[in-house]
Amino acid sequence: MGSDFYQLSILPYSGIIIKICRAYTNSQEDFEDYYQEVCLQIWRSKDNFNQQSKWSTWIYRISLNVCLTHLKKSKSGITDISSDALPEEVIDDSKAFINDDINQLYNAIKHLSEIDRALILLYLEEKTYAEIAEITGTNTNSIGVRINRVKERLHRHLNQQGVTNE
Amino acid sequence: MNRSIEAMWKEGFINEPNLAAPKINALYNLKSQNIVDKLQSMFALNIKALIIGSIIMMIMMSLIGAPFLGLYICCLLIPLVIIAKKELAKSTSLSKGQSSYDYLLNFDHWLKSSINTYAKYYRLFYPLFFIGMVTQALVSKAGGKIISLIMQKFPTDLVLLGIPYYLIIILTMLLLLVIKYSDALYRLDLNIVYGRQFKKLDELIADMKTLKS
Repeated sequence: MGSDFYQLSILPYSGIIIKICRAYTNSQEDFEDYYQEVCLQIWRSKDNFNQQSKWSTWIYRISLNVCLTHLKKSKSGITDISSDALPEEVIDDSKAFINDDINQLYNAIKHLSEIDRALILLYLEEKTYAEIAEITGTNTNSIGVRINRVKERLHRHLNQQGVTNE
Repeated sequence: MNRSIEAMWKEGFINEPNLAAPKINALYNLKSQNIVDKLQSMFALNIKALIIGSIIMMIMMSLIGAPFLGLYICCLLIPLVIIAKKELAKSTSLSKGQSSYDYLLNFDHWLKSSINTYAKYYRLFYPLFFIGMVTQALVSKAGGKIISLIMQKFPTDLVLLGIPYYLIIILTMLLLLVIKYSDALYRLDLNIVYGRQFKKLDELIADMKTLKS
């Protein structure tokens, strides 16, 4: 990968990649692996970018696709769960960010299924339902309902942790 | 505290120093770990194993006095190498720049199509391999001695190419069993090794499908 491509086309969007990769990893080592893998895939797929969507949307897509298909067995052992269940144990990666609220929120997000994590991340990034549908290839109509359910679960989890009182 | 998750997210990332990109070292040499790369490396390894296996087979069979069987097995393995190379080339053309759902569907389609291609050949490979091994066993000195012992114990006039009819029936039945279960055997092997990953992929697609409906 040319350093120019990285500096101009990836680095300005690194926040997107970081936020997504953090939701799918439990350690700094895994996070850096995922981050690098996403960067590599962006570079590999750059010729397929058709200019019809925004470059940032392309970055979201590739980041999520890499995270969703990444089969590395995390040493810290996040388990995949269905939307309606919570895993017994999620390792608290409380040092990921300086801000405690963000760490708590990420910890709650990590209790969600992989798909729900993708949806809530895009929602929190203020993507419209249409954009979320475009990135994930899903139906706009069902996204709102699903996001509301995910938000409720997040609130419940945060309340249990004493982070919010809603 | 009484705050929404939206506010926590928005305010939390203001002045967040840990949003700085991690340092990237030797990106060219990064060992890819996603499922596509994992399977690509599996196919590449498979090709190498087939080539090395063919050579070892040739040498071993020649050493034990069965060079033709070694050559025969090599000829059976060559199409597998060709298939593996073709599948590897197909897998590299997959693009990640689609929507997640489309990407996963395309990936799954490619995976299933690859498995079917292999399965088709294995339906031929296992029976032909069995025939080769049995033929070699029958024409070998040891095989000849065993047939003589069997003939002494169970004498019969119904003999074809020096082989008693009941042995031909048993071997034919075994061959039919191999033909019947070769596909299942291949898929069983596949599931033992990759079952967990296949299941994970199916679950992801199913989850996304519910969102699409």
